[in-house]
Amino acid sequence: MKEEGKHNKKAKKYGMVINLDNCTGCGACMVACMAENNVPFKEDESDKLDSITWMRVYKLANGESYPDADICYLPRPCMHCEGYHGHSPCVSVCPAVATDYNHDTGIVSQIYTRCFGCRYCMGACPYHARYFNWWDPVWPEGMTKYLSPNVSARMRGIVEKCSFCFHRHQLAMDKAFLEGRTELEENEYQTSCTQACPAGAITFGDLNNPHHKVNQMVKPDNKHGGRPGDPNAFRLLERLGTNPKVYYISSKEWVRRAGDNYLANEDRTVQQH
Amino acid sequence: MKVGRRSFLSFIIGGAAGTAITPLPWKLMDDASIWSQNWPWTPVPPDGEYSYVNSVCTLCPGGCGISVRKVDDRVVKIEGMKGYPVNAGGICVLGLSGHQLLYSPTRVKSPLKRVGKRGEGKWEKISWDEAISEVAKKLSEIRSKGESHSVGSIVNADSGTIPNLFKRFLTAYGSPNFMTMPSMQDSYKMTLQLMQGVNAQAGFDAENADFILSFGSGIIDGWGSPVRMFKANSTWKANGKKVVQIEPRLSNTAAKSDKWIPIKPGTEAALALGLANVIITNSQHSQKISQSSGFESFKKLVQNEYSTDKVSQITGIDSASIVSLAKTFASASKPLAICGRGQGSTPGSLNEFMAVHALNALVGNINEQGGVWAVPEVDYIKWPEVNLDETATNGVQKERVDGAGSEYPHAKSLLNRLAEVVNSGDGSLEALFVTGANPLYSMPDSKAMKKAFDSIPFVVSFSSYMDETASNSDLILPNHVCLERYEDVPTTAGLQKNIIGLTRPVVKPQFSTKNVGDTIMLIAKALGGSIAEAFPWDSYEACLKETLGAKWDVLVENGFWSDSNSKTVSGEFNFYPKAMESLSNFSPVSLEGSTASYPLVLIPYDSIRLANGYIGDPPFVIKAVEDTVLNGKAACVEVNPKTGKELGLTEGRYASLHTPRGKAKVKVHLYEGIMPGIIALPRGLGHTAYDKYLAGKGCNFNELIGPAEDPVSGLDAAWGIRARLTKV
Amino acid sequence: MDSALIPKGLKRCSIGKFYLGIALVGAVVLWGVYAMLLVWIKGLNQTNMNDSYGFALWIWADLGIIALGGGAFFTGFLRYIIGKDELKNIINYAVVIGFVCYASAQLILGIDVGQPLRGWFIFWHANVHSMLTEVAFCLTCYFGVLVIEYIPLLLENRQIDKVPFFHNLGHNMHEIMAIFAATGAFLSFFHQGSLGGVAGVLYGRPFAVREGLFIWPWTFFLFTWSAAAFGPCFTLFVTRLTEKITGKKLVKQNVIDLLAKIAGWMMGTYIIAKIIDTWYWATVTAPSKGFTFMDFYSDNSFYGIWILIAEIVVGGIIPALILLSPKGRSNSTALFTAVSLACIGVLINRWVMVLQVMAHPVMTFENWFLYVPSWQEVATTILPVAGGIIVIALSYRYLPIFPQEKELNP
Repeated sequence: MKEEGKHNKKAKKYGMVINLDNCTGCGACMVACMAENNVPFKEDESDKLDSITWMRVYKLANGESYPDADICYLPRPCMHCEGYHGHSPCVSVCPAVATDYNHDTGIVSQIYTRCFGCRYCMGACPYHARYFNWWDPVWPEGMTKYLSPNVSARMRGIVEKCSFCFHRHQLAMDKAFLEGRTELEENEYQTSCTQACPAGAITFGDLNNPHHKVNQMVKPDNKHGGRPGDPNAFRLLERLGTNPKVYYISSKEWVRRAGDNYLANEDRTVQQH
Repeated sequence: MKVGRRSFLSFIIGGAAGTAITPLPWKLMDDASIWSQNWPWTPVPPDGEYSYVNSVCTLCPGGCGISVRKVDDRVVKIEGMKGYPVNAGGICVLGLSGHQLLYSPTRVKSPLKRVGKRGEGKWEKISWDEAISEVAKKLSEIRSKGESHSVGSIVNADSGTIPNLFKRFLTAYGSPNFMTMPSMQDSYKMTLQLMQGVNAQAGFDAENADFILSFGSGIIDGWGSPVRMFKANSTWKANGKKVVQIEPRLSNTAAKSDKWIPIKPGTEAALALGLANVIITNSQHSQKISQSSGFESFKKLVQNEYSTDKVSQITGIDSASIVSLAKTFASASKPLAICGRGQGSTPGSLNEFMAVHALNALVGNINEQGGVWAVPEVDYIKWPEVNLDETATNGVQKERVDGAGSEYPHAKSLLNRLAEVVNSGDGSLEALFVTGANPLYSMPDSKAMKKAFDSIPFVVSFSSYMDETASNSDLILPNHVCLERYEDVPTTAGLQKNIIGLTRPVVKPQFSTKNVGDTIMLIAKALGGSIAEAFPWDSYEACLKETLGAKWDVLVENGFWSDSNSKTVSGEFNFYPKAMESLSNFSPVSLEGSTASYPLVLIPYDSIRLANGYIGDPPFVIKAVEDTVLNGKAACVEVNPKTGKELGLTEGRYASLHTPRGKAKVKVHLYEGIMPGIIALPRGLGHTAYDKYLAGKGCNFNELIGPAEDPVSGLDAAWGIRARLTKV
Repeated sequence: MDSALIPKGLKRCSIGKFYLGIALVGAVVLWGVYAMLLVWIKGLNQTNMNDSYGFALWIWADLGIIALGGGAFFTGFLRYIIGKDELKNIINYAVVIGFVCYASAQLILGIDVGQPLRGWFIFWHANVHSMLTEVAFCLTCYFGVLVIEYIPLLLENRQIDKVPFFHNLGHNMHEIMAIFAATGAFLSFFHQGSLGGVAGVLYGRPFAVREGLFIWPWTFFLFTWSAAAFGPCFTLFVTRLTEKITGKKLVKQNVIDLLAKIAGWMMGTYIIAKIIDTWYWATVTAPSKGFTFMDFYSDNSFYGIWILIAEIVVGGIIPALILLSPKGRSNSTALFTAVSLACIGVLINRWVMVLQVMAHPVMTFENWFLYVPSWQEVATTILPVAGGIIVIALSYRYLPIFPQEKELNP
């Protein structure tokens, strides 16, 4: 694992804040991701356990009966877990360093040509954010024309996942470099899903940067594993110690509680802090 | 040389060891893995020059600005256009997948002539010249027999140059039968006509409203211009504005609203009138409305017929909720009541629209900030009058086949009546043009529609895709898709402002297709005479430029043109006798089918992830559909667990769904968010045409429901149908 | 016909009968090979694995057969390091069984990875933090050791032994076998452990995760321990099965008794450690992540508390008690029942540590994931079993595997 960024004060921690109150479950983030990242599709995609969706929108229910039932959508990209010092659940188990934690950006990468398809990382990820290419990617005749050269098409037999549109970071950095800059503006690097979301529910930026909206929205406490300062903010499965970089905001307690596992008598807010 | 066993072994072992230290095995190993990285069947997208082209999406009536990313002459991504007045950078699933439609194998790649039986799928490729002369020949024949009025066209909308070219063509040719795909806008237009005496579109100043009372409108399920409504919804959330959703099912809109009030479906108008009663009784109505004509009789009507208790009984909502809802609605500073179920793709009951409009009038928000506006149609199409020859003059005076303007004097087009009229022999068509629409899929009782089509001898489709209607036509003259063509897009979907967008060619046409505007002009020219003279332009592009005049440059520059000032048609709201008569005779739309054989009520629901109009879901979008909506090849019917228990149905099992109009095999999805006794099916599934990614998946709701004529408008008022669900 | 190849003085069944049997098993092998080719050519879509079941039947089979093959290293350890000399009478067979198990594991791994051609990346781009890397290195090295241990056995074939070179080679290899046995034991302690670590380090999976010592979770030690306990049971099980099939006594009772007794002690102590581990996990580890013990055993149609009872009581405590009692060991039926139950017990343990880990939903809004393997997965799992039977049968027929056979069957 590369540790260059470890002591770099300017190290970024790119992360996402998703406002679940605004999220309408329209699925634009999912499709924007598929379109940006050359995600393949096959005839039947209704088996969601075999359907590559780097960004997947889950539908949560409050478990109450009619008419007290309530639902909430929850978009789930890769959480880009920092774990403990970059030992995210998946990175630490990959036998061939095909997935790596970048300490300069906080992004968990996936190197398609390195991966040999052992799928240990998938077993390690509690978010089911990792997808295996069970099939050869096949596009109908003519459709390969729309494939973007920025992201390589993946071959059968390897694992892929959300990269926080890392190629966009590279393109933005290239542009900044040509203009003699080393730092990016907040709006220069945004993921495809953030850009597409018609409800403006997704915010993306550097969690370490107090000028960035993501930082202001959730006030992450880096001394305590990045836990959010905002009482309406939460992360998925925080108690496992995965230290994810995707934060959610909801005004509904049942939604916030659905983000993690709690014993029947536990108070969520006490456990979180 | 004698080789001993020992030397042989030494040779083998030495050879093996020697090979191992050469680069050979390592190189081979590396090559093998590199080969696996570049399997020839895994495409490597070529790099090239990057560029962005702004255009406007035409995949739904929403009219969003799009920014198309290209690499050389290939479209690689479609994004929302920043600063576009409708969608301000946002985009929906369908717009995002536009490039899949561009490169789709289901596209019709050249003019096709049917060679087998209709619908058999046997086609012959023909040239454009042949295709045009084929149509012209047929139309000349019909015209020479004096049957010009028996030619009709079905077009997606009635504003913009393309629909108007079709209208003009029919007029010059001599037929009144210009039909459009129905939507809630038809009912809204008629409401404005009957209650304000104006000819206008309904526009909603949603962003400025502070209390939104929605009678089943899928605000975030695709109602109006979808992306614009998503944004409005977020604005409401950010500013603490309230949304109350009234419908029997916990839709996404209901879930995201501040309050969901389940209601017995079909009784929304009664609720609106009941709310009106409370508002009037509490004197919360505006001063202005009490001076409007007919107010007293309206007051009498709601006080006598729509007492809170009675409304409570009709709607199933408790009295206290009705009273408190009326109070909060009327005391909000900018309340807005809207209707049009789901995405508003069916017109619905006129009384419901009028009752809801009356609510807006009561709280005085018509043509006010945050209210409902009567928006004039953009009047940029100012073509010279058509010189009609004798045939045409006779033809256009004939009665329309669908009864619009005659049986139903207020209606302009009643496509919902076409199937019945044709099938019962009350009317007939000799030829039919279909463009930008897929009526064989998206009209209620699509089987009856198909039957009607079967009796029309000559059906011409202008579809870009091999959709249901195209595959049941005689001739296909494929249009460019929107990424290949010019078109003006006057946005009508509930915007409070006139906006025209410009769709423009982003890439050169992929196949031998033609802009439908050019095609219709070529047909006119081939017919000659006064018909040809009605189209003095060299090409559609020339026509468009001329029509838009000064706006053209603005459109090319900005991608859109919008009225600098919001205009409204001033028409005072009154309870005119016609509207009052209708409201007085109001009774909920009765459902087809008997309670005994069909104990349940089936309603449709709309999802933004399911396109249910002319365009079907492209592969990306169908992939994004949840497994509780589409599971394998089966659509999932939402059933309340209580109802499920009574029927002995468990989650995920197959069931057989019967309605008086059809049947389907479905899977059961137990959902706590639906009223017991009601079951819901998604719209947008069950295509038989298009590609394998869409065809044969789920069932088409329109095969299960039939139209119900609204007594006043003649439009389709059906919102559901009785049904039976049994174990398989 | 093949009598020239059969060890001197030993009786074997007729060649026809033997090869008929081999042909029958060979048909199963062919079926497995067909499935294997399908998987290699068409890809892993031939399986019923999915994105929630990245690890499934194959990984279980790997973990299972390596645990069962643990008899080789542990018997070797007892024979060469501890000096339990009697075990020389069963060590050959333990080595053959171990060889078969490890060869099978390697084959299954070769089928299991999505890009078999890149399999060597695990060595070339090794990530030292990954338990799987540790597994790969130790497993490969130990397989090498097993090959080296198997070669002298092969060289003892009557015809091969006639060649002076092979005779001397075999002899010399026997001389230094203790070194390999020690190496093997050392390697095995690590890879058996790291296989346990594979599940134990998954801190995103509350069912699998265990606290531990330094980088090693407790499952690391439990797996080594259980392999040492249950591996010899499998050796005994196969030995007894061979005796039943051949109708001959092949190993003296005192040898069996000794190995069974040691296995019993290992198993007894292991099961105590396993109970403590489970107890700690259920009362401390899991609740700290918001789970009650029963969360892992309810709300689904398969994984009930029965599986834990089956593993610990039926497949652990009961066989341990039988093996620890002299009476139980001397009763042939009781002994066979005990070793059979033990094998099942360890297989259940490996099953839950792979499949139940995947099955249990971690996010609150997901449900249990249940999985049934496809026929291709089953066939490729049976393939090495069938192949193993052939290797064992051939080894038995043509090699002097059991030093006591002649004495016991005059």
